[in-house]
Amino acid sequence: MSSDSMMQMLSELSGNDAVFGHFGALGGYALAARRAMHELGTGPETWKKIAVGQRKWANLNPQAMMHDKPLTETDYDQAKWVVEPFRLFDNCLITDGGRAVIVTSLERARDLKQQPAVIMGLGQHHPSTAIAQSDWMAGPTGARQAGKTAFAMAGITPDDVDACQIYDCFTYTVEITLQDYGFFQPGEGRDWLEGGTIEPGGRMPVNTSGGQLSEAYCMGLTPIAEGAMQIMDRCGERQLGPATGTKPPEIILCSDNGGILQSHSSVLLRRM
Amino acid sequence: MSSALKDKYAIVGVGYTPQGRVPGRTSLSFHLEASAKAIKDAGLSRNDVDGFIAYRHFPAASDENDLPADVIAQHLGLSPTYIYQDAN
Repeated sequence: MSSDSMMQMLSELSGNDAVFGHFGALGGYALAARRAMHELGTGPETWKKIAVGQRKWANLNPQAMMHDKPLTETDYDQAKWVVEPFRLFDNCLITDGGRAVIVTSLERARDLKQQPAVIMGLGQHHPSTAIAQSDWMAGPTGARQAGKTAFAMAGITPDDVDACQIYDCFTYTVEITLQDYGFFQPGEGRDWLEGGTIEPGGRMPVNTSGGQLSEAYCMGLTPIAEGAMQIMDRCGERQLGPATGTKPPEIILCSDNGGILQSHSSVLLRRM
Repeated sequence: MSSALKDKYAIVGVGYTPQGRVPGRTSLSFHLEASAKAIKDAGLSRNDVDGFIAYRHFPAASDENDLPADVIAQHLGLSPTYIYQDAN
């Protein structure tokens, strides 16, 4: 993908509401986040913990676009608005690059070179309604049902998950996705994130490459590639387990999300 | 039905390319490099590949031709049994 095509997506005029200033992916997610501020009491105090926490992972990842750039909560607070309520560091990166994964049967996988990342659960759910016309603007998003389906297939609960790789086009997307998966109750994200929950050394590492916010925006391949690489124990300095003071990654939950929270996919990966 | 796909498949290779601001490259070149590296990472060859799934059909750069999955597969030298691509 190219940064040029990303800019087109971010700024394209979607309908008549463009005359009121509502257009592009950024405007749509900002609308959803603003509604969540009203209904759930979330906001920048919650989201900065996601931006700063993920950046700490990126600082351990030499491939990350933000590898050499530490980010503090003060940096976050002082950044300019892009579309309110999103400041600069609530937004994902714009990236030239590509990424691919190989999937095969478990039988075949046993004989191959890498330690396989076994797919133990899958789920999809697509609310599909444009966000401005939705009756779920502050959630639940498709993550609620997609997550339930994936967990039911795998026969596990969120308590069994060791780390998450969440599609993070915006910080708020991470909050609403984790909330819909059941990691915390609506509106309790800020408390859940307190104390470095998602950071190196935390009890539920999230987006351990830096994610789309701080590694690279390779769309859904950012989370799923990192999930597989962590299960394969190929992540060097950022490897989950003793190296980063986190749980060894037996099970990792990955998400993908499309449109303005209109489509959602979940996959649970496990070690063989 | 809900468990029909459980523990049947696995990810066995990952391919990365240079990423960030990478001037002077086509979108197609990123598709090809990532795919070729993923195949190699798994210890496979392109002749082993019998399916090709392209992630969302986003526009290529504004000065490039459209990149549907079959065009990428063709440039990779694949003859897959099935090809699939998300609409968006």
